[in-house]
Amino acid sequence: MSKERKKLNFSDYLRRTEQITERMLTGGWNETRSTIEPLSDIILGATEVVVTMDLPFVDPNAVQVSVKADDIIEVQASTKQKIRLHELGVKHRKSEFSSYHSVLRMPVPVNEEGMTYKLKRGILEIHLPRQK
Amino acid sequence: MEPVRIVQNAPLPRKFTLMTGLPDVGLVGVVAGSQIVSSLGMKEIGTVESELFPPLVVLHDGVPKSPIRIYAKEKLAVMIAETAIPAGAVYPISEAIVNWSFSKGADLVLSLGGMAVQNRQDIEVPKVFAALSDRKLSKLVNGAAEILGEGYIVGAYALMLKKCAEIGLSAIALLTQSFYNYPDPEAAAAAVKSVNMILGLNVGTSELLHKGEEIRLRSKDFMKRTQTEMARINKSQECDVPPLYG
Repeated sequence: MSKERKKLNFSDYLRRTEQITERMLTGGWNETRSTIEPLSDIILGATEVVVTMDLPFVDPNAVQVSVKADDIIEVQASTKQKIRLHELGVKHRKSEFSSYHSVLRMPVPVNEEGMTYKLKRGILEIHLPRQK
Repeated sequence: MEPVRIVQNAPLPRKFTLMTGLPDVGLVGVVAGSQIVSSLGMKEIGTVESELFPPLVVLHDGVPKSPIRIYAKEKLAVMIAETAIPAGAVYPISEAIVNWSFSKGADLVLSLGGMAVQNRQDIEVPKVFAALSDRKLSKLVNGAAEILGEGYIVGAYALMLKKCAEIGLSAIALLTQSFYNYPDPEAAAAAVKSVNMILGLNVGTSELLHKGEEIRLRSKDFMKRTQTEMARINKSQECDVPPLYG
């Protein structure tokens, strides 16, 4: 258990380092992995944590949410079409993106069991029960 | 030297309306303002300059531009920003906008912004609210927005409204229900419809709705920087209930 926990922490550390670097250098456009880090928000409730995420162009049938550790969730979602930076007016960069990827630390431990999520108006809303 | 300076490069008629689309909740003002500028084919007539802003230019068609610009056509001027306003610049920019508008003979300052609502996903058509510098302006609003009676407004529009009320310059802040942290083109479309009614314009909104996803993606990084500045000025206090009334 402790080994497992240690492993998760290390991988979490790497992910967080990657996320921070990504944000600092590219504003959430990971050109190496062709992924976009979406805007997100976390609301702490009395019994649950609610996470929202803005996912324009997302394919509603290709959204995956998983709880990676007690307080870490991962969201992966494919886009309906390739997002090309030069089509957004950034002519000097040829990168294209086909999915969103986000790893978020929850403010409190959460349960995967009982987790629900829905997509409405391109916003993903995830409800995660808090651990008792 | 003033900390924020408005540099005007072309004349404006007296008795014009200044519309401001500064970045805040849902980037409503910026998106709506941009739509109005492009739809009416407005020309750039000035910029807002300050050492308090990040040292950057925005390239458009290879030409370096100031990130905060003023466009005009006939009796309408529109100020839009393509960079987040640093928290430390909120007071001086608000002061500069009102002083400039007053000195140039503007007869109305119309600010476009967002009003965060938690259940935004469930709202089909966002409502527009109007905060007024003077109650008499409710005639001008005339059903285009619901008059805001109680509540907090935080940021540049709050300071502009207060300063305009003090000096007797008419000001309306149109605040449209929107996402707090996400760009909201649908809210911008609702804001444009209200502006059309108040100013007698005919700016289309279908493009905002049709290109909504693209606008949201394009504005992602801008929204993120705006979020940081909103946190610094406690923008979320707008959701609080004021303790006193009347």
